Amino acid sequence: MKKNLILLLILFVSFNILSGEGNSSNTMTDSTPLPGMRGKPINLPDVSALGNIVGYTSDDKSDKGKNDLLLNEVETAFQGYVYPDVRADIILAIHKHDEEYESEICEVKINFQNLGYGFSGEAGKIHIDFGKVNKLHTHHLPFTDRPLVLNKFLGEDELAGQGATLKYLIPIFPFYSQIQAGFWKIEKPEEGQFFPTDKSYSARWNSSFDLGNKKELEVGFSGLTGRGPGYVSETKSKDSVDLVGADITFKWFPSSYEKWTFQNEWIHLRREIPQGKLNRDGFYSFINYRANKYWDYGLRFDYSENAFPKISYERAVSAIITKHLTETTYWRFTAKHRNIDGKNITEGWFQLSFGIGPHSHELE
Amino acid sequence: MKKFFLFVALFFASSFLNAKINIVAASMDLKSIAEFVGGDKVSVESISEGAQDLHFVEPRPSMVMKIKKADMVLKIGLELDIWMDSLISASRNKKVMYGEVGFVDCSKGIERLEVPQGKIDGSMGDIHLYGNPHYWLDPLNGKIIAKNILDGLVRISPENKDYFKKNYDDFCKKIDEKMKIWQTQMEKLSGKSIITYHRSWSYFAKRFNIKVPIEIEPKPGIPPNPNHILKIIDTIKRENIKIILVDNFYPLKAVNKIAADTGVRVVVVPSNVGGEKEVRDYFELFDYIISKLTKE
Repeated sequence: MKKNLILLLILFVSFNILSGEGNSSNTMTDSTPLPGMRGKPINLPDVSALGNIVGYTSDDKSDKGKNDLLLNEVETAFQGYVYPDVRADIILAIHKHDEEYESEICEVKINFQNLGYGFSGEAGKIHIDFGKVNKLHTHHLPFTDRPLVLNKFLGEDELAGQGATLKYLIPIFPFYSQIQAGFWKIEKPEEGQFFPTDKSYSARWNSSFDLGNKKELEVGFSGLTGRGPGYVSETKSKDSVDLVGADITFKWFPSSYEKWTFQNEWIHLRREIPQGKLNRDGFYSFINYRANKYWDYGLRFDYSENAFPKISYERAVSAIITKHLTETTYWRFTAKHRNIDGKNITEGWFQLSFGIGPHSHELE
Repeated sequence: MKKFFLFVALFFASSFLNAKINIVAASMDLKSIAEFVGGDKVSVESISEGAQDLHFVEPRPSMVMKIKKADMVLKIGLELDIWMDSLISASRNKKVMYGEVGFVDCSKGIERLEVPQGKIDGSMGDIHLYGNPHYWLDPLNGKIIAKNILDGLVRISPENKDYFKKNYDDFCKKIDEKMKIWQTQMEKLSGKSIITYHRSWSYFAKRFNIKVPIEIEPKPGIPPNPNHILKIIDTIKRENIKIILVDNFYPLKAVNKIAADTGVRVVVVPSNVGGEKEVRDYFELFDYIISKLTKE
């Protein structure tokens, strides 16, 4: 009995030592797991959270939101692979809308990274790939506020739809060229916004050209069509919205950290309502210089018409300084001068955006 | 007419037979080693450049096309080249996706240093979950990288196994020969302390028995502040440190200030192949670094 007990004890100690040795080894025995696979040993997804605090001031005395420093957005993400080459992203957010906080499903999507023959696809609730910026989440933007033309034509937040998109990487060109098409059900916009709603269809073609010497030119064309928010029927109250957009971005990387970006996006809105046909335009032009690992300096010019039957014009110029603390944490100052139908307003913004955990997005 | 078809058939057959294995490497170091092992049967491109901080490579659409056409990708792994994952995913090239025959993570088999234990978060700076990823700066790890590349090439082209194996053996032999020279040159620094800008040199320091008591960055990826600079100056004086080793893409303002205050020698070197025009391959990288470090 005593012998058996000692033997058992020796075996138990040996097992623990051996298993301990196995765990303490630092030799990489397999490939480094991909983002989304880090939780593999306990089968957990990558979990992360982001916060966005915004301070705002304005010389417009009628502006109720001025002189506040408030939490603008909290975003949580759960990301992981559900099948080989199939990744799931669940991004939930609490946004500040006017004076209140609203929770919403920001994006929930399944990404089929390789459907074969150069195709990939996404399904779920997704930021629609229209133009250069709409796909990006607020904390990934190089500016505090979204360009005017996006606010007026696509809404105050990223335009998202429930549906699916199919993408095709064109193999015959020597340069990057992708086409995609999507169908969506888009929630009805709030009062005063006019983007397509209900059943809508999108398409985008984007290409990129390596100009050599660390320079790259990216070009894109987008389209989105659907019923307008006032639609009742084809005969009673017709409302249709068509959007077309073009974007062109030049990037230059003179050294390891330095980067110049010159990004331009134009959107045309065509709306057919009982009062007649509206044709509206808007664009922004953004130049940014990343001086080193930590500092970015940008200048943006905005022009946009509105989507109401009575046309109005707005222009703005913004100067933006960003200090990056880490890849997901930065603070930013923006000084903005707006001219709305001749009325001048000067605004100042302070933004502090921070991230916890391995939050990641696809190639942007 | 028959002759014409025969000519066309022969042309396509010869093109097919002479086709090189198209490799896309994350770094110039992996590219260089792949060229040694693959010889004239491979064509290798690197996504990053020699004088580039590999933590800050911005994935661009034009890079996607390189991976789209690749038969094999070489990743550094340990989350240094996380940007490669989005490029591979965007390329939709099944051959080179994670776990497929053309996917090679060169960190496999590396004895990792500075693997974080317990909870990690942003207060620790830019910490890599799987340990310090700058492993190629130990020349002996070059042999492990080469072995990973060899395994990948044999998976893709088993008929050329003997050719690749011979190249691999030659590469390892050359590493062993050069190591004797490098060890002799580095003897004068053995057991001594130096300061580095970032924790890029841990593997190099361990291999050549150099101590690194403090870095210019207070924590990985965090820029130096006045308090930390005073701490560095104190360490230099206390431990009689003579050298600050800096990768050639890091800013030199704080380093030069410390040098001016203490008289310490600043050695600026590339940490990747191609970082200087004299550094054309993996062997020349160590020749260059060691010659600069040991220069009187």
